[in-house]
Amino acid sequence: MSDVPKTDNRSHRQGIGEATQVVASLWFSVGKETLSVISLQAAKSHRNERIAVNVLRGAAVFVIFAIAVLIVYLAFEGTKTFSVDKFPVWKFLFSSDYDPGNNLGGSAVFITGTLLVTGFAIVVGGPFGIAVGVFLSEVAPARMAQILKPAIELLVGIPSVVYGWLGLTLLVPFLRTHTSSPSGFGLAAAGIVLSIMILPTVISLSEDAFRSLPVSLREGSMALGSTRWQMITGVLLPSASSGLTVALILGIARAIGEALAVQMVIGNSSQFPRGIFAPTASLTTEIVIDMGGAPQGSFQEHVLFSMALLLLLIAMALILLVRFALRGRG
Amino acid sequence: MASAASSAPSRRLSSNSGVRLRRLIDALATGVLWIMAASIICLLATFIMYLFYLGFHSLSWQFLTSAPTQSAGGGIGPEIYNSFYILVLTLIFTVPISLGAGIYLQEYARPGLFRSVVQFSAESLATVPSIVMGLFGLLIFVFYFHWGFTALGGALTLTLLNLPALVRVTQEALASVPDSLREASIGLGATKWQTIMRTVLPSAIGRLTTGIVLIAGRIFGETAALIFTAGLSVSANHPYELNPFRSAETLAIHLWYTHSESVIPDVDRVGNGSALVLLIMVLAFNIAARLAGSALTKRFTGRSS
Repeated sequence: MSDVPKTDNRSHRQGIGEATQVVASLWFSVGKETLSVISLQAAKSHRNERIAVNVLRGAAVFVIFAIAVLIVYLAFEGTKTFSVDKFPVWKFLFSSDYDPGNNLGGSAVFITGTLLVTGFAIVVGGPFGIAVGVFLSEVAPARMAQILKPAIELLVGIPSVVYGWLGLTLLVPFLRTHTSSPSGFGLAAAGIVLSIMILPTVISLSEDAFRSLPVSLREGSMALGSTRWQMITGVLLPSASSGLTVALILGIARAIGEALAVQMVIGNSSQFPRGIFAPTASLTTEIVIDMGGAPQGSFQEHVLFSMALLLLLIAMALILLVRFALRGRG
Repeated sequence: MASAASSAPSRRLSSNSGVRLRRLIDALATGVLWIMAASIICLLATFIMYLFYLGFHSLSWQFLTSAPTQSAGGGIGPEIYNSFYILVLTLIFTVPISLGAGIYLQEYARPGLFRSVVQFSAESLATVPSIVMGLFGLLIFVFYFHWGFTALGGALTLTLLNLPALVRVTQEALASVPDSLREASIGLGATKWQTIMRTVLPSAIGRLTTGIVLIAGRIFGETAALIFTAGLSVSANHPYELNPFRSAETLAIHLWYTHSESVIPDVDRVGNGSALVLLIMVLAFNIAARLAGSALTKRFTGRSS
């Protein structure tokens, strides 16, 4: 009898024990399951993460790959004038005897043309652009800036052929009737078109240069009793000089590479210009005109690729200059 | 003592006139700056009105839809089609690559050699003149792959040309998203990629769209890179083809080509009309960029602008 409750008790205890065990194991297994679900999700999102990083890095590597292939390919193709055809480099740079049919590839005329139109553009467009940049940063009331900024964006958006077409239909006839130029085509027409085209670049970059200056400079200058104009010329211009240099360099880069707008108004005569209104040619215009007719593998084609390589080298040099100017700022 | 007392009033007098002079110069300079700024707006207004004045009479349904001819009376239908065709093709390549590179540079890459090399490569690529890029496209797609002049070659060349600009747009759009959003998302247990996809990109989508549409406008008007890659002709039999391996003269090239090389008698009519259509498209892209950008920003972040 006494055994019975004991056993009962035992079995009862046992029952409780079993129940706890079941509950525990049940809880444990469910817990394990949710845990494994969570860890599965985590593993999945970690895998996604790894894939994403690699794909994104691939896109970044592509940028390096693109510029590397471009430089190598153009360097290879652009030096064939000197390596395959044995045309001396100094003659390419400094001789003006250009007759590719007879293996003469002196490109001094085109190099001069490029330098002159670019110089014209930066001398006219540079100061103008910086002035409007100062205006936007220091003078313009909010409403004026609201009109001016979209206008500048539109000037950027207008395609270069449309600038060329405007030059052709508006500027060239004007120059023909009002200057000594018999045709209106020439250095001045190309320079004016280019100076308008680089304006947006110079304006927005120089505005940024002025805006990045600390307010304390302006307050200090004003507190000393200077007028706004004295503050601009005496304090802000010198302080923003590296930023303004960058603005001008990138304006030059834009002008040097422009092809079709220049080609439409420069007159396309392969001789040194005999005056500011005289027709001439530049590196880009010569490539545009002659590349289509140059047989593949010919001396003429090689010379044109050498001109392209020269343009690329100038562009790279300008980028290094920009880096240098910005490093000076610290 | 006496000299100091006598010089004091005269000094004040001279400094008074100095102040007056300085204020006069300041007012003059301010006036000149205003005139310069106003002249930019006048210049743009002149361009737009002049192009409308020139091209308005050329525009007609027939001009916009018919094919160009050797004689007078040709249209620009296939050229408009090709411009959009190459634009879409270019964006298909440009957008994913530059989004990827931009996200990597802005969100993942730590300052170091790799990031500076990528940044410098992008800057270098951005300064390559478009005509030089065109010659590179000629070397690769026309000479090396032997494709001839194709819409695909043109689109790939334009991809290289516009890649750096869009990488920059992406970086700037992502940089404008406040770090608190990223921290909140990471704090809730999201991974970095989940954070970028669900938090950062939606916040940046307005700026991204504005940038992409503005670049689309540039692609639409690009010429120098296309002359030697996409070619100067449209197919006479199938002007509205979907095949990317065919030469595809765009509207911008047509404007240049009609003037400089071809011999059609009504060059001015075709040129004026094409220039006006290009201008209208640029205006449309600019307006669309603003509207779409602000609408998307509002939709995804609840903030205006």
